[in-house]
Amino acid sequence: MREDVKGWFGGERNFRLASVVTVLAVLAGFVIQYAVGGEGVPLLFWPLNALFIMVLAALLFLLGIAFRQNAFASWLGGIPLGLSLIFALVFLSLIGGFIPQGVASGNAVLDRSGVNRIFSSWPFLFVVLLFLCNLGLSVVWKTIPFRLSNLQFMLFHGGFWIALACGLAGASDLQRLIIPVYEGRASSQGFIPQDNRMVQLPFSVYLDDFSIEEYTPRIVLYDPENDRVLPGRSEGLAEVGKGFRSEWPGFSVTVLDYLPHALPGPDGTPRQADDKQGISYARVRIAAGEVHSDHWLNTGSPSIKPGVVQIERYFLVMFPGTPRVFRSGVVLKGSGGGTTAAELEVNKPVSFEGWKLYQMGYDEKAGRWSELSLIEAVRDPWLPAVYFGFFMIMAGNALFFWKGMKQGELL
Amino acid sequence: MMPVEFSVIAPSVMAAWALGSLLGILTKRYGVLRFPAYGMMIAGTLLLGWFIAAYWIALERPPLRTLGETRLWYAALIPVVGFLVEYRWKIAWLKYYCMALASFFLAINLAHPEVFDKALMPALQSVWFIPHVVVYLVGYVLLAASSAAAWHNIVSGFRSRPELIGYSISHYLALLGFVLLTFGLVFGALWAKEAWGHYWTWDPKETWAFISWMAYLGYMHLSAIRTDKNRLQWYLAVSFLVLLVCWFGVNYLPSAQNSVHSYQPG
Ligand code: HEM
Repeated sequence: MREDVKGWFGGERNFRLASVVTVLAVLAGFVIQYAVGGEGVPLLFWPLNALFIMVLAALLFLLGIAFRQNAFASWLGGIPLGLSLIFALVFLSLIGGFIPQGVASGNAVLDRSGVNRIFSSWPFLFVVLLFLCNLGLSVVWKTIPFRLSNLQFMLFHGGFWIALACGLAGASDLQRLIIPVYEGRASSQGFIPQDNRMVQLPFSVYLDDFSIEEYTPRIVLYDPENDRVLPGRSEGLAEVGKGFRSEWPGFSVTVLDYLPHALPGPDGTPRQADDKQGISYARVRIAAGEVHSDHWLNTGSPSIKPGVVQIERYFLVMFPGTPRVFRSGVVLKGSGGGTTAAELEVNKPVSFEGWKLYQMGYDEKAGRWSELSLIEAVRDPWLPAVYFGFFMIMAGNALFFWKGMKQGELL
Repeated sequence: MMPVEFSVIAPSVMAAWALGSLLGILTKRYGVLRFPAYGMMIAGTLLLGWFIAAYWIALERPPLRTLGETRLWYAALIPVVGFLVEYRWKIAWLKYYCMALASFFLAINLAHPEVFDKALMPALQSVWFIPHVVVYLVGYVLLAASSAAAWHNIVSGFRSRPELIGYSISHYLALLGFVLLTFGLVFGALWAKEAWGHYWTWDPKETWAFISWMAYLGYMHLSAIRTDKNRLQWYLAVSFLVLLVCWFGVNYLPSAQNSVHSYQPG
C-alpha cells in the first residue's frame, strides 16, 4: 500500500522533479519561440507525421516493456508528471483562453513569444510531447500483462492518446477551403483564408439555387439617433400576426392584418404573392389614448422601400426575421466527369470524392436576396483515427460511469 | 415574452425554498415542522418545474438555447440533486446549499429579463443539440452540487468535525460530473464536425471547456493518488469557479470577439 501524499506535492520527490521538468519545458518552449521570431512549429506532412507517431509509439512500447523497473521510466509514466503536465496544459490553455488567438496583439514582444497562437507554439508542443510519453507509458503498463479489470483505463487513456496524437499530427494534412459560387454559375476554385490565396479543386460546384427561409418578422421601435432598437412589451408569447399587440410608453400597436408573402398591387395595396418573391406586410393600428391611425409596414427588398412609420423621433419598423434555414441546391462535377445533384444545409454536409461540403454562409448584407453562397470544402484524412480515439474515450467513460473509481493502489 | 410572468414565479419559488429551509432548520427543535418544511421546499421545485413545462409548450421547443433558459433548468435540477442525496445517504445539509445556488441562478434571470428569444439559429438545429446540452447541463448540476458539498466540508473542517461521508459525497458528485463533462466534450466535437466542418478549433468556448475538463481531470488523478482529503475539498470548491467562467464568463472575455459559440442576441 502507498502512503498518503502529504500536501500538494510535498514529501514526494517525484512531484518536485516533475514540476521542475514541466516548468523548464514551458520556459524552453517560450525561449525557442522567441528566438525563431514567433514562427509557429514547423509541420510534418504525410507520410512523415504518420512515421513520427509510429516511431513514438514503438519507443514508448519498448521503454514500457523493457525498462518497467527503471526509476526514470516509472517517473516518466507516473501520475506526478501527468499531473504537472495537466496543470501546464491548463496554464497554456488559459493563455489561449484570455488572449485573442490568430490576431496580432500589437505588442511585438507578446506576438514574438507566440501567445496569440499558443496552440501551435513551441511550449505547447513540448508539453504535449511529454504528455504523450507519460500517457503512452501508463497505457503500456496497464495493457501488458492484459487484465480485463484494466479495460476502462486502457480505453480512456489509450483513446485520449490516439485522439491527441492523430489530431495534432494530422492537423497539417487537413484542408479547409471556401468556395464562393453565384447562382447560375460554377466554380472549381477554393479560397484559403489563412494564406489568402486561391487553389484549383479536383471538382467543380454549380449553384442551381440558393434560398433562405426566415422566422417571423419583428415589429420594433428604432431610435436613429442612438442606433438602438426598442422592443415593445407584448402579452403572451405571440409572434407577429393578425391580432398581435405590443406596447411602448404612450402608445400601442395592434396588427389588423398580416400577409407573410405579398407584393404591392397596381393601386399600391399589397396582394398575396409567391414565397420566393413576396415580402411580409402588416396593417397596423397605432393608438395613443383616444387617437389612432392605421398604416402598412413592410420588411422591404432590393426593389421595394421598407414601409416604416415615423413617431416623433423614432420609427416603427418591421425587421425581417433571422434566417431559419439556408440551403444551396448544387450540382457537383467530379474529376472523372460524373455529376451529382445535392442539397447543402447547415448541419447537413454532403460527402463527395473524399471531401465534405458544408453550407457555410452567404452575402449577409443582401440577406434573403443573396445570390452568393459560400460553401466550405474539408478534407481530413486523419478523421477516422481521431474518431476511433473518441469512441474509445466514450466507451471508457461509460465504464467509468458504471464502475466508479478505485482509489489508491497505483502510481 | 413569457406565458406567465417570470417576475412573479421566480420570487415565489425562492420564497418557498427560503421558508422551507427555515422550517427545516427549526425541525431539529420542533419535530412537527418536518412535514410543512418538506412541503414548502418541494412545492417551490414543483412550481418551477411547472413553469418550465408551460414555457416549453409556449415556445414550441425545449427551452435550452439561451443562457437564461439553461439557468432555469439548473435552478430546477440542482435542488433535486440535494433531495436525492438526502434520500440516498441521509445527508440533510446539501439541499440548503443547492437551493441557495438555485436561487442565485433565478436571481440572475430576474435581473436580465431579455434573455428570452424564440429563434433557433441554423447551426443549432441538429440531432446533437439536445444530447450535447442535456449532458453538459446535468454535468454542471452535479459539479455545482459537488462544489457545494466541498464548501460544506471546508466549513465543518474549520469547526474540526470533518465527516467521512461528506468527503464521499463531494467525490462521487465530482466523479459523475466529470463523466458527463467528458461525454459533453466529445459530443460537442462530433457535432462541431457536422456543423462547422472541424471537430476542434480552439474557439474560446472550446478552450474554456477544455480547461474546465482538465481541471476535473486533475482532480481525478489527485484523488487516485490519495491526496490529502481536506486539500481536495479546496480543489473542488475552486474548480467550480473555472466552470462558471466557461459557462457565463466566456462571452465577456476579449478572446471571445469572434466565437462561433456565443448565441446571445445583442
Ligand atoms: C497525463 C498522462 C496520464 C497519466 C500518466 C495517467 C495515469 C493514470 C493513473 C496511473 C491512474 C490511476 C488508475 C487507477 O487508480 O486505477 C489514472 C486514473 C485515471 N485517469 Fe489518467 N492518466 C493520464 C491522463 C489521463 C487523461 C488524458 C484522462 C482522460 C481522458 C485520464 C482519465 C483518468 C481517469 C478518469 C482515471 C480514474 C479511473 C480509474 O481509476 O481507472 N487520465 N490515470
